[in-house]
Amino acid sequence: MPHFDMSQLRPQGRRLDWPDLLFGVFLIAVSAGAFAATSRLSGGSAADMGPGYMPRAIALILLGFGLFFAGRGLARGHAGIERVQTRPILGIAVAVGAFALLIEDAGLVAASFSAVLLAAAASRESRLFEVILFGLSVTAGAVLLFVKALALPVPIWPWSI
Amino acid sequence: MELFDNLLLGLSTALQFNHLLYCLIGVVIGTAIGVLPGIGPIPTVALLLPFTFGLPPESALIMLAGIFYGAQYGGSTTAILVNVPGETSSVVTCLDGHAMARHGRAGPALAIAAVSSFFAGTVATVVIALLSLPLAALALKFTAVEYFSLLVLGLLAAVILAHGSVSKSLAMVFLGLLLGTVGIDVNSGAARMTFGIPALSDGLDFVPVAMGMFGLAEIMANLERNEVRQVVSQKLRDLVPTRADLKAAFPAMVRGTAIGSALGVLPGGGAALPPFTAYALEKKIARDPRRFGKGAIEGVAGPEAANNAGAQTSFIPLLTLGIPANALMALMIGALMMQGIQPGPQVMTEQPALVWGVIASMWTGNLMLLIINLPLVGLWVSMLKIPYRLLFPAIVLFCCIGTYGISNSVFNVWLMLGCAVVGYFFIKVGVEPAPLLLGLVLGPQLEENFRRAMQLSDGDPSVFLTRPISAVLLAVVAVLLLAMLSPAVLRKRAQALAE
Repeated sequence: MPHFDMSQLRPQGRRLDWPDLLFGVFLIAVSAGAFAATSRLSGGSAADMGPGYMPRAIALILLGFGLFFAGRGLARGHAGIERVQTRPILGIAVAVGAFALLIEDAGLVAASFSAVLLAAAASRESRLFEVILFGLSVTAGAVLLFVKALALPVPIWPWSI
Repeated sequence: MELFDNLLLGLSTALQFNHLLYCLIGVVIGTAIGVLPGIGPIPTVALLLPFTFGLPPESALIMLAGIFYGAQYGGSTTAILVNVPGETSSVVTCLDGHAMARHGRAGPALAIAAVSSFFAGTVATVVIALLSLPLAALALKFTAVEYFSLLVLGLLAAVILAHGSVSKSLAMVFLGLLLGTVGIDVNSGAARMTFGIPALSDGLDFVPVAMGMFGLAEIMANLERNEVRQVVSQKLRDLVPTRADLKAAFPAMVRGTAIGSALGVLPGGGAALPPFTAYALEKKIARDPRRFGKGAIEGVAGPEAANNAGAQTSFIPLLTLGIPANALMALMIGALMMQGIQPGPQVMTEQPALVWGVIASMWTGNLMLLIINLPLVGLWVSMLKIPYRLLFPAIVLFCCIGTYGISNSVFNVWLMLGCAVVGYFFIKVGVEPAPLLLGLVLGPQLEENFRRAMQLSDGDPSVFLTRPISAVLLAVVAVLLLAMLSPAVLRKRAQALAE
């Protein structure tokens, strides 16, 4: 089981508050991104605000929060982060990704069945045979519920596109 | 007498056959997801939202509301029988409810929980009916200035009542507000932070955001823990509580209802906070506090009444002011807007059948819950036997289909995936995603009102302090902020939320 242990990142002798630090860095990155994305929009004045006024004002506040948390994370305390396991994240991410890629080009049946199978791979407890059976029945249920009962306009089979 | 007219109008709407049917569907789904840990009302409502589009607005709202309060019932069933809180709001019910079950009194515990919930639901329905009219009348006097101040108060209160660090929740609100500015600016027509993606020009859809952060991220985090769930099977003998039980439970029920109704109305309120408060109160005023945790019936009745009352009265700000009190009510706003109804005080006068129908349906829904919960309790408990390893792939799939279904957009599925990863990051660094969702939904309203108010005042921000209603609202904001800075209050809050 590969895993990534955040506590190993902690440099020797220096104790950091990882949750605070990472959250702070995240906020700084988001606000920097917002500034970059809105740099061409006009700000206007307080009486007549342009489209860039609010996003930049909020980004500025977020930058303040980010600096505060990052600073606090560096300055005080020590708190690790629970071990991050890659298997659940990857399993779910790949399942959702597969669904997104397949739904319009291969239809609901293929997309649903592969999403269930791939998602099940996220857990160590899943059993192959059981998952295949379960996947088939959930797929059938999804087609009946969403396409037949709720009339979701989506192709069912690859050839019905 | 207007009140009776309104309630009668509501009842006649709620009692129509198809509204009763959707109410039943809502409360059954609600009970089911309440029983199952790992899926809560937020992703469920988000999932069903796209499919309410074809329904009449009354049916849609009645069903979605049923999911919310139905989940409170289901959550307490498993709390009592299995010591697994299906919802956060039933965590305290585990303490005494499960203790009663261990002493062979599961039947009376379940009955008292259901009766308390029903009692609270009935009273809360009347509270909603009584408070809605004056509040809506007051709200009609609101201009952009008052709305802005009210939204600020709502967002801040949501932060204070949320679990976890206040400063981090505040940061999350601003993050949500920033996400809310994505899309075409209504005033200038300029595209803001859309990165050239046409799907973003209408703004970020909150359903993928909610499903990613509440549904999928939660699954990712759950899979890291290996939880062994034990289903305790127990013969349910005599469901009927004794006269002594009822006598002991009734005052707690009344107090719980009062606490729940009061806390539910507050912006940021809802079903999670009231039961903790009610439990603390019951313990404090009990003659012998040592009984608590060992099967005290007041410890079941009080919190159960409180969470149901809170769940229902949190509809008041939504119905009267158009402001959601919590993340779930934010989804309800989405449901209204999908129906082409702009939420706000005018809904009350323009759509009386809708508003009063939803209010009255809460009462019929509670009556249905009483029936589907007590005799059918065995059925719900057997649902717990579905192992999580099968449950979660199905939830993942339903999240995918639901997100795709809102507007047949693959982009939304990718967006949900992105939000899931970010949501997982939030869980890891210990921040609550609910304030972000609230910020995202209220962001556009906040900006619109702020810009309009500033335009009217020629860019002078003092207008927020010179208008009396707005000044009062902002004064409350200031008091809350100051109170949060005081260490004594912080300690008390930590205590109350930790219990």
